[in-house]
Amino acid sequence: MTMEPVALADPPPSTAEDAPTARQKIGMFYRAVRQPITLICLAILALQIVIALAAPLLAPYDPLQPNVQHRLESPSSAFLLGTDDLGRDTLSRLIYGTQTALIASAQSVAIGLVLGVSLGVFVGYRGGWWDRIGMRIADVMQSIPALLLALALVAVIGNGLGKAMLAVGIIFAVGFMRVARAVVLAERERLYVDAARVLGLRSSSIMFRQVLPNIAPPLIVQASIALGTALLIEATLSFLGIGVDATAVSWGSMLDASRQHVSEQPLLAIFPGAAITLSVLVFNLLGDGLRDASSPRGVGGGKRKKPAKNTAATAEAEQNGTAKAVTTAPASAPTADAAKNALLTVSGLTVTTHTGAELVSGASFHIGKGETFGLVGESGCGKSITAAAILGLLPKGVEVTGGSVQLDGTELTGLGGEALRQIRGRRVGMVFQDPISALSPVHTVGRQLTDAIRSHSGLTKQQAEERAVELLSLVGVPAPRKRLLDYPHQFSGGMAQRVVIAGALACDPELLIADEPTTALDVTIQAQVLDLLAGLRERLNMSLLLITHDLGVVADICDRVGVMYAGQVVEVNTVRGAFNQPRHPYTEALLAAMPHGANGSEALATIPGRVPPAWAWPQGCRFHPRCTYAVEECKTGFIPLDDGVRCRRAVELKLAGAK
Amino acid sequence: MIKFVVGRLLSALPTLLLVSVFVFLLIHATPIDPVAQILGEGASSEAKAQLAEQLGLGRPVAEQYVSWLVSAVQGDLGASLYTSLSVSESIGDSIGITLSLAIAGMAVALIVGIPLGVLGALRPGTVADRLLTVVVAAGLAVPSFWLALLLALVFAVNLGWFPVIGYTPLFEDPVGWLMGLVLPSLALGVHTAAVIARQVRSAMIEALDSSYVQTLLARGVKRGAIVLRYATKNAMVPVLAVVAIQMSVLVAVSFVIERIFAIPGLGTLLMDSVVRADYPVLQGTIVVVAVFVLLVNLAADIAYGLINPKVRPQ
Repeated sequence: MTMEPVALADPPPSTAEDAPTARQKIGMFYRAVRQPITLICLAILALQIVIALAAPLLAPYDPLQPNVQHRLESPSSAFLLGTDDLGRDTLSRLIYGTQTALIASAQSVAIGLVLGVSLGVFVGYRGGWWDRIGMRIADVMQSIPALLLALALVAVIGNGLGKAMLAVGIIFAVGFMRVARAVVLAERERLYVDAARVLGLRSSSIMFRQVLPNIAPPLIVQASIALGTALLIEATLSFLGIGVDATAVSWGSMLDASRQHVSEQPLLAIFPGAAITLSVLVFNLLGDGLRDASSPRGVGGGKRKKPAKNTAATAEAEQNGTAKAVTTAPASAPTADAAKNALLTVSGLTVTTHTGAELVSGASFHIGKGETFGLVGESGCGKSITAAAILGLLPKGVEVTGGSVQLDGTELTGLGGEALRQIRGRRVGMVFQDPISALSPVHTVGRQLTDAIRSHSGLTKQQAEERAVELLSLVGVPAPRKRLLDYPHQFSGGMAQRVVIAGALACDPELLIADEPTTALDVTIQAQVLDLLAGLRERLNMSLLLITHDLGVVADICDRVGVMYAGQVVEVNTVRGAFNQPRHPYTEALLAAMPHGANGSEALATIPGRVPPAWAWPQGCRFHPRCTYAVEECKTGFIPLDDGVRCRRAVELKLAGAK
Repeated sequence: MIKFVVGRLLSALPTLLLVSVFVFLLIHATPIDPVAQILGEGASSEAKAQLAEQLGLGRPVAEQYVSWLVSAVQGDLGASLYTSLSVSESIGDSIGITLSLAIAGMAVALIVGIPLGVLGALRPGTVADRLLTVVVAAGLAVPSFWLALLLALVFAVNLGWFPVIGYTPLFEDPVGWLMGLVLPSLALGVHTAAVIARQVRSAMIEALDSSYVQTLLARGVKRGAIVLRYATKNAMVPVLAVVAIQMSVLVAVSFVIERIFAIPGLGTLLMDSVVRADYPVLQGTIVVVAVFVLLVNLAADIAYGLINPKVRPQ
């Protein structure tokens, strides 16, 4: 009965879950070894292990044999690092000290690992009372400083390095227990453990087969740092003369001995301390390196992609380099007449990462005074980057490498410092996606509003507060005066977004950029916030740039729309035009994928495939791999934005509008 | 607020009780024979029996614990097996010294660590930041007692700027008190400064990368004001937890530093009791330190509530 389920249960989890774990582990070491510092640390550690193992061969003298004729000598050819107060060779003592230090730290960490992991796995898996009692004991152990606990345990267990490190190991066990328990608790929730349990696998075999491999990466990191700590504690205990027998040579006891003679022979105090520092440093850096390598956003992981990325990107950049000259000509043509009363004119805007990937390629559109312009497209098409580029808010490593952004005749690209600050908030306001994270959690809403108000005006604190009250009532926050004293977490999502909008309006901007302002909100609230934005635009007579992936939003409040795909603007049209007679196949596809409230029974059309990453934009028309109308000529050459559409077949295609 | 503090204090009581049981059992479940420790192996069995009777060692451990606890709650932690001095009084005499040392060490750590961390966060990846990372890594690796030896060698022995050893009470000679604290607190503070700098750096980088900083920038608030008013305050939330942990680490490490500078604090008391297996002193000291650690954590919780409105008790 039990045999069969076991046989059945085994393969799925091991293929589904063990494989990535094994890969993850190999990946961790692979990435770790690629970090130069980690590699150096590993080399030093290897050297130390060799020194420790070969101590009797390497040490020129007996580390314990006194030689009173050579007391406190300075370094010489006979005694390379000098001698101590009993005439013993410092170099030999340092070499034997390496042995003591490594054995002591390895011993205590091993004890800690075995004890801590078994306890952690046990209480984590059993849960209930076992867990509560275990964690309570851990709390108690940790409310006594580790060094103090070590001292107490030494006093009780008695002297001797082995015993002292047993004490240290018991202390480490508490830390390892917490790590192991946390991993077990996380793993328990995973389906495969449940599945294995349902299939009748014994809990112990579940633990050992499934959970232990997953604990390894965090434990290795923890263990490396613990080795450094153990070494430090061993040195400290030896320095204090506690827990160490006189026959062992320890760096700590060497330092203790040096205290009496430090004024005669200062070098005695230098070498052992340097040895301790170096060893602890090696373990710490090793732990840091392993931690970086084991985390998913580890530096090494990102780097590996780059070579592949670069070749594609350079080819792309070359192609776009030649393309750019072409872009500016046709793109500026349609804007030329409209630009006269345009508030914002973006032409040929190109945004590039430092690795050479183009996030936005030659984007062009304009927004008239009092107009609401929608910028739509799927995630990863460069809409938000375009918006951020307008206000110079691009993330690190990303910059505008071409084109221009003009606000009522003022060039914004290349503007910096104070000049840019004068634009931000005062002339262009911005609202971000998630209102809660757009507000500092530890400052009152009033503080955040008045700081925005006062950064552009000479208002006193009191006047700024009055203005903040005014703004909050403008955006429809009830009891505004009272709410100024509240913190962001006391607001609902919709109310918080109103506060963020109030902040963006603080200095009466001419243009408000709203980057997916309703995406993070409840569906019921979305319409209210949109209505608010539309109403405010009208009342305050400003322009609105609305970034969204939802064409329904565009239909509701926009005048004109720009469609972005893979870093390019592929169509600029009036909302009516885009909905009735889309001119780019991507616009058509977006319209087809729009959910329709009325006939919800229909299967929702989706666009097959996904937006490619920025370093792998396709040649030719970037949409062609997903386009149902693509022909051979769509796959090559640069396709300009011509008369508001970027498509080879724009003239011949008759595309379907919204249903 | 008062309710919150009282509640926290009450919830710390079981932990404290467990600490005392733990320490008591630890010491009593081991083969150490205090009678032999005091009288030496060669003492007559009559003398031993008399002393055991006097110390109440014949009673069951549970009974001994309860009687110890009852007097401990009243402030009586027993008497040293060696000096017969009251443990409470000995601790009372030395705890202020250790605390002033630990607080001075923390002051050094905060004054050095926070600006360094902020500087690193403002320009991550630059030469200055990398240099800082190296300094921090070194600070984390240097043993405090070695640093103490070196500082004493250079600034006290060779240059003579500070006293080599000893402690001057604050009320006797405030200047002497301060001068005596400089080197020990420096030696003590460097490691913690590195820990804090590292924590501040990563917390600041996270804060500066956050959406609210973007929002404030987009509103035209000056970058300097954002860093000082917003990012720093947000970054302090995680840093606070580290400060609390480090405070108890500092108390423990100050025990070692006290020894180097011959400062008559808790550490000296404890070290003597460890060497002599003077368990009433050992037990009392550990329990007092545990109380201190719990109080520091409580203070950290309250401070956490002051900084972070989300957890503020209403």
